[in-house]
Amino acid sequence: MNELPDFLRTATWHPLLVHLPLSLLLIGTIGYLFGFLGKRKFWMDFGIVLLFAGTIGAWAAVYTGEMADGAVARQLCDPTILKIHDNSAHTVSWLFSIASALVIVDFTGLGGKMQRAARLAIVLLMLTGSGFLVRTGHLGATLVYQQAAGVYIPSEDCEEFY
Amino acid sequence: MKNILRGIFTVIMLVILGSCQERTDVVDSGTYQGTIKEVEADKAEIYVDTDDGKTLELYFTTKTRLTMNGDSAQFSALEEGQRVQVEVERVGNRLDPISVEIVEGDE
Repeated sequence: MNELPDFLRTATWHPLLVHLPLSLLLIGTIGYLFGFLGKRKFWMDFGIVLLFAGTIGAWAAVYTGEMADGAVARQLCDPTILKIHDNSAHTVSWLFSIASALVIVDFTGLGGKMQRAARLAIVLLMLTGSGFLVRTGHLGATLVYQQAAGVYIPSEDCEEFY
Repeated sequence: MKNILRGIFTVIMLVILGSCQERTDVVDSGTYQGTIKEVEADKAEIYVDTDDGKTLELYFTTKTRLTMNGDSAQFSALEEGQRVQVEVERVGNRLDPISVEIVEGDE
C-alpha cells in the first residue's frame, strides 16, 4: 500500500512560495509604470515597495526551486523544460534586482535628466522582467500540469486515504 | 540620456544572454566521452561536455554505476575537468546515466 506523503516536503515549498513574489512583481510593475507615466508619486512608491518585497521573494523562490529541482528532476520526462524554467527564473531575479539597485540610486537624489533616465531604465527593467516572469510561470505550470513535477499521484483504489 | 539607455539595454541583454548559457542537450541512448563541466553534489548531478560539443545533464539514480580504474567509486570522486565515459539511456527527453566511468583524474 502506498503511504500518503506529508504535504510539506522539499518539492512543495517552491509552489507554496512562488505565487507571492509573482503577484508582487507584476502588480508592482503596473504600479510603477502608472506612477512614471502619470507622474504620480503614490503609485511610484507603491510600485517600489512591491518591487523590493517581490525581488526578495524572487530569490527565495529561486532557492526553493533549486531544492525542488533535486527532488523532482529524476521523475520528469523532459527535464530540459526545468532547465529553461530555472534559467528564466534567474533572469527574472537579476532584472528586478538591478531595477531595485537603480531605485536605491534614485533615492540618493538624482536630478533632472539623470533621474528621468534612471526611472525610464527602471520601467524597462521591470517590464522586461515581467515578460520573463510570465514565461517562467508558464514553464513552471507546464512542469506541473504536463509532467506532474512534485505531484503525488494517488493509487488507483485510493487505499492510502482510508 | 542616450548613453544611459544604451547602457541599460546592454545590461538587460547581458543578463538574458548570461542565463541562456546554461542550456543542455538531449542525445540518443548510447555511450559518450567528455569532460565534467560541473558537479552538483547536493543533487547527485553532473554536467558533461561531450567531445562532439553537447552538454549532458545527468542526475544519478540508484541504478547508476560509477567506476574509476575498473573499481566502483563514490560520487565524491567526481570533479570538474575529469574525463569521463558515460552510458546513458534516453527516457523521453531525460537522460538516465547507466554508467559513468572516470577515464582520467583532474591533473
